[in-house]
Amino acid sequence: MSGDQECTGGDLLTQALAGEPAAFTALVRQHQRAVYSLALRMLSDHHAAEDLAQEVFLQLHRNLCAVSSAAHLAFWLRKVTMHRAIDRLRRAPRLESAAPEEVAAAVSETQPADPLLERRLRTLVRELPPAARAVVLLRYQEDLDPVEIARTLRMPLNTVKSHLRRSLAQLRERLNETADALT
Amino acid sequence: MSENRENEQLERRLRAALRAVDPGAGFAPRVMARIVVEPAPSVRPARAGAAAGWLTLGLAASVVLAVLLAHEWQVRRLEQGREARRQLIEALRVTDDKLNLAYRAVNAREGAALPEHSGA
Repeated sequence: MSGDQECTGGDLLTQALAGEPAAFTALVRQHQRAVYSLALRMLSDHHAAEDLAQEVFLQLHRNLCAVSSAAHLAFWLRKVTMHRAIDRLRRAPRLESAAPEEVAAAVSETQPADPLLERRLRTLVRELPPAARAVVLLRYQEDLDPVEIARTLRMPLNTVKSHLRRSLAQLRERLNETADALT
Repeated sequence: MSENRENEQLERRLRAALRAVDPGAGFAPRVMARIVVEPAPSVRPARAGAAAGWLTLGLAASVVLAVLLAHEWQVRRLEQGREARRQLIEALRVTDDKLNLAYRAVNAREGAALPEHSGA
């Protein structure tokens, strides 16, 4: 997030804390992409992701006074989204095998350079175990470094690094298998 | 291609594949609609949560206490059994001693009486 956004986010936060619905709506708009995308890639289902993202913002509305800054807000939203998603997957593991989400491609604003490859990568990420998937999403979707990921997921730093290393190796291997099968 | 370059390429591809997507313009209004519908947060849920916490704690303490009592009862039963066994063995030993004494006394008397009978 840029400094300008943080400043705006901070102002919005203050106004939302003062009880202005318009400010809270603006906060939702500011963070809905990140929250919804994390939920979608964790649950692989548009409806479940929308529901989870809404619940995260409802929880935010109830706990707004616990958020101290714009940076804290972004951290809080990621943390709650990931924990809720992992929790849902634990309670309803059938979500794991949900049909591939192609909503992502449909709603995406920029055209992918290689749509097939990107779709294959998303499928492979979806096949990772939930904890490893959460680490990969926070790293490559949210661009967090391993220390921030460890804080967000309340996971030891070495576990985060090992998830990243193993997931990358697995993804590379599976991609190569696909490429070999095609040639 | 070296492993590092392969990893860098994969990371670039992952960033592209996992770029954030928007849930659509109607998302924020839907969230706000749910906020309006939901009752305002009150102190009660927190109290209910605290009560549930205490209840869980109480139940856990009861289970631990029950396990400890059952263990104590079992230990006592074992000790009582051992004591009864010890007493039985002691009683058998005393009886054995007494029977030995009686046997010896009878033998001694018979030994003393034999010469008179044999002389008659």
